[in-house]
Amino acid sequence: MTRHRRPRPLGLSLVLLFLFVATPAFPSGFQIMSQGAKATGMGLAFSALADDPTAIFYNPAGLGWQEHFSAEVGFMGISKIKGDFRGANPFPGVGSDGDQHKTTFFIPTVFGVVPLTKDFNFGIGVFSQYGLGFRWDNPTDNPWPGRFISENAVIKSVDLNPVISWRLTPAISIAAGADYRLSYVQLQRNVGTYDPLNNAVVDTAYVKLDSDLWDNHGWGWNAGIMIRPSPVFSIGASYRSSITIDYAGSATFTQLLTGNDVLDAIVRSRLPQGPQAVATKIEFPATLNIGMAFVIAKNTTVCLEADWTQWSDFNALNIDFINPAIPDLDRITAWDDSWAYRFGVEQKIGPNWAIRSGYYRDNTPQPTRDVGPILADNDRDGYTLGVGYNTPKWGFNLSDLYLIVKDRTVDVPNTDSFFGKYRETVNIAIASFRFSF
Amino acid sequence: MKNRIAAAAALLLLGVGTTSAQTTAFHKLVVVGDSLAAGHEANCTVERYQRRGASALLAEALGIADFQQPLLAETPATNPPTSYPCLGAVVVGGSIGVGIISQEGAQLNATLPRPYDNLGFNGGPRVKDFVDLRVSVPGRSDLDNYAARVLRNVAGSPFEGTNAVEQAASLAPDLALYWVGNNDLLGAATTGVVVDGVTLTPVDAFRAKYVEGLTTIFSAGPTVVTFTIPNVTSIPLFTTLPPVVIDPATRQPVIIDGHPVPLLGSRALPPDCPVATCPLPNGTLLNTIRAGLLLQQGIGVPAFLGGRAVQGSGDLTTALPYGTITASGLQPGVVLYPDGVAAILARTTEINDVIRSISAEDGTVLVDLNTLFQDVAANGYHIGGVTLTSAFLSGGLFSADGVHPSAAGYAILADYIIQAINTQRPGISPIPRPNLGAALFTPNVPPFGTAVTMPGFHPDKWLLDLPVFEASPPAAEPLSDRRPSTRTVAR
Repeated sequence: MTRHRRPRPLGLSLVLLFLFVATPAFPSGFQIMSQGAKATGMGLAFSALADDPTAIFYNPAGLGWQEHFSAEVGFMGISKIKGDFRGANPFPGVGSDGDQHKTTFFIPTVFGVVPLTKDFNFGIGVFSQYGLGFRWDNPTDNPWPGRFISENAVIKSVDLNPVISWRLTPAISIAAGADYRLSYVQLQRNVGTYDPLNNAVVDTAYVKLDSDLWDNHGWGWNAGIMIRPSPVFSIGASYRSSITIDYAGSATFTQLLTGNDVLDAIVRSRLPQGPQAVATKIEFPATLNIGMAFVIAKNTTVCLEADWTQWSDFNALNIDFINPAIPDLDRITAWDDSWAYRFGVEQKIGPNWAIRSGYYRDNTPQPTRDVGPILADNDRDGYTLGVGYNTPKWGFNLSDLYLIVKDRTVDVPNTDSFFGKYRETVNIAIASFRFSF
Repeated sequence: MKNRIAAAAALLLLGVGTTSAQTTAFHKLVVVGDSLAAGHEANCTVERYQRRGASALLAEALGIADFQQPLLAETPATNPPTSYPCLGAVVVGGSIGVGIISQEGAQLNATLPRPYDNLGFNGGPRVKDFVDLRVSVPGRSDLDNYAARVLRNVAGSPFEGTNAVEQAASLAPDLALYWVGNNDLLGAATTGVVVDGVTLTPVDAFRAKYVEGLTTIFSAGPTVVTFTIPNVTSIPLFTTLPPVVIDPATRQPVIIDGHPVPLLGSRALPPDCPVATCPLPNGTLLNTIRAGLLLQQGIGVPAFLGGRAVQGSGDLTTALPYGTITASGLQPGVVLYPDGVAAILARTTEINDVIRSISAEDGTVLVDLNTLFQDVAANGYHIGGVTLTSAFLSGGLFSADGVHPSAAGYAILADYIIQAINTQRPGISPIPRPNLGAALFTPNVPPFGTAVTMPGFHPDKWLLDLPVFEASPPAAEPLSDRRPSTRTVAR
């Protein structure tokens, strides 16, 4: 792994750090589509509408019709309503259960639009498209049975995405941009050792792998097109390329005492001392979003969308220890490409208010053989509600997304040899504030 | 074999036996076999092990509450032991070795008025013993001692004159494990004496007795499960100690002139070494426990590395003995030479071919244990982020005797058997798989304490100091001043 060190402007670094630390932990796969409150309220079916600064994320071609300088700041709160695991035979066995750590994550987003000419607009967005936080409670009196696989798996990322839009004709706009992604990964787990004195597996060490904070980044690009052949109909498509990030970092091994001095001494003598260099790589997938928007009645807009994510890019998760004495962690993920289907509707009430609702079905890319304590994904149904108040100068939008993840039962041979049922429900509340002038 | 099937069908029509219904689970399990079937672990058979054996776990998975076993109590070890001792890991100085932790106690289920459902017994029964041993004579041999308390076919008993397979058939099972044949190969390895017809069962003799026993079991009409024989030379008892001198400081072979230094064996190897004592050739396997005891005394270590002669049975012994047959009988050795290894492997293949052929012809469920053992020996067993291996003591798959599985190992065997049945009998309701997590995480120690070490008792016989778990390497000694190796690296 090549490590890149470049000086960065302090201001930018601070902004990125703020976003980075706050980056959440919620998988969809491990993609986060809720980057705007209006879009979220409409079931994330926004590629053909994209009429606010979050268009930078959903479809940058939507900037072509935005004629004023605008800035939008959003805050998203992701709460895990339910997240647990019920063990099954053969391993960890019936009665070996666990709970995910319940935390609310807050994610900020920032989008800005700067009109350059009559036909060209510039936009820039800072957001987190990918994030994962799969953390399990591991109480002493009821240890998490999957702790030897993962206690906490984290992927954080922040994207800096400048774009340029070009309105080719009054009805057609195109856009393209660059996507700089900074990312961080972490994995925590225990090490189990067979204790011959008790003839049972015991916890002998705790391993924490962290990537370096700043040196793991990659570049990609995005593009979009939007066609508005009439005031009541539009179609849009946007594409965001895959980004590969090579991570460098370190792992620390902390001994967990068993209570037997001899066994503990043996473990101590064999435990890697000091930080151990590690390297890994994640290929973040490409995405393609295609949507249509109709004004079906006065003040009523309906949006339909199909989103494709090239999750087949995410085919392995290999953690390589530079020290050859420590075995690598190699995992074939072999995910499949996936589709999500979205529907949203907006009803304007008067000149400023609007209410919104939506639904989507997001099909999981994760094959059952890869489901485990690191990540247990499944098909999900998202139900959204939103409200907004917008004037030409300013506006705010509030939305809520209630996400019901279908229970995922692992009852076939799998990578972790870890069987059982995962259950998860998530709520996402998002608010955004826009200023235009 | 078609005749056997026809006979079984006739018996079925007469109502003598029952076959498993195609859409229902099994309700009556019987087990015929050796120590693996019995749940033998760490040199003894006690209730703590019997209830965690593969046979018992299968019965539990089937929901059979009345699975009767010849249970034995476990008691603190006496000095000297008054029954078969149970081995276990014990702390010895700064390392973990093997010691006696308990011993077999009284029979707990001796008055059962019918044969046991688990008729597995140790003592080294070969396939012929499951059909020929109709009267056990306690005191005559280990085999008789164990068979007497399981088959109870001693003189004057209601079971006198009945063999294992007849007792099994009399219980009218709908599922029967026919888990035999391991000792037809294992004895050659454990004694170091590889002689066809003596320690190795000839193929034709094996086939005849195997079929005879299977036919009797089939007469009851059950679904029968058969097993291939694991490669006994891949178990920890034979894979722990290398045949070369190990530097205790580095745990690596002592290298002189670019080559490791072989240990010495008592067998002449003409033409290079026409008279004993001779260097052990590559590929020689050492009996971990027995050879380990001798290596502690310096036996087998070349004199220039500190080896020494020890008073043996009449002669000064400087080499690791190999097994022989003398006028007074079989004299076990501690090394297994490559030609013996090859002979055992060849016979393993032949016998497994016989078992596969008979199983295919008779339609038994075949559990390919040899494949499982080879796989875990090569790759370990990975489950839930934990890797168990075949390493002696520390690996987790084998018990402290280096031959028999641990509780975790037996649970994995039970799971393997269940998967084989479910796969090969798709018409039945799948048998639920066992809870391997319980086997891995539940301590398995004597109820009266964890490790009862007996450092004062027969240290030369039972208490080993095999530094498979050594805390820290001892200070290195100059090779020129090296005393006899008292520590040998286990790999």
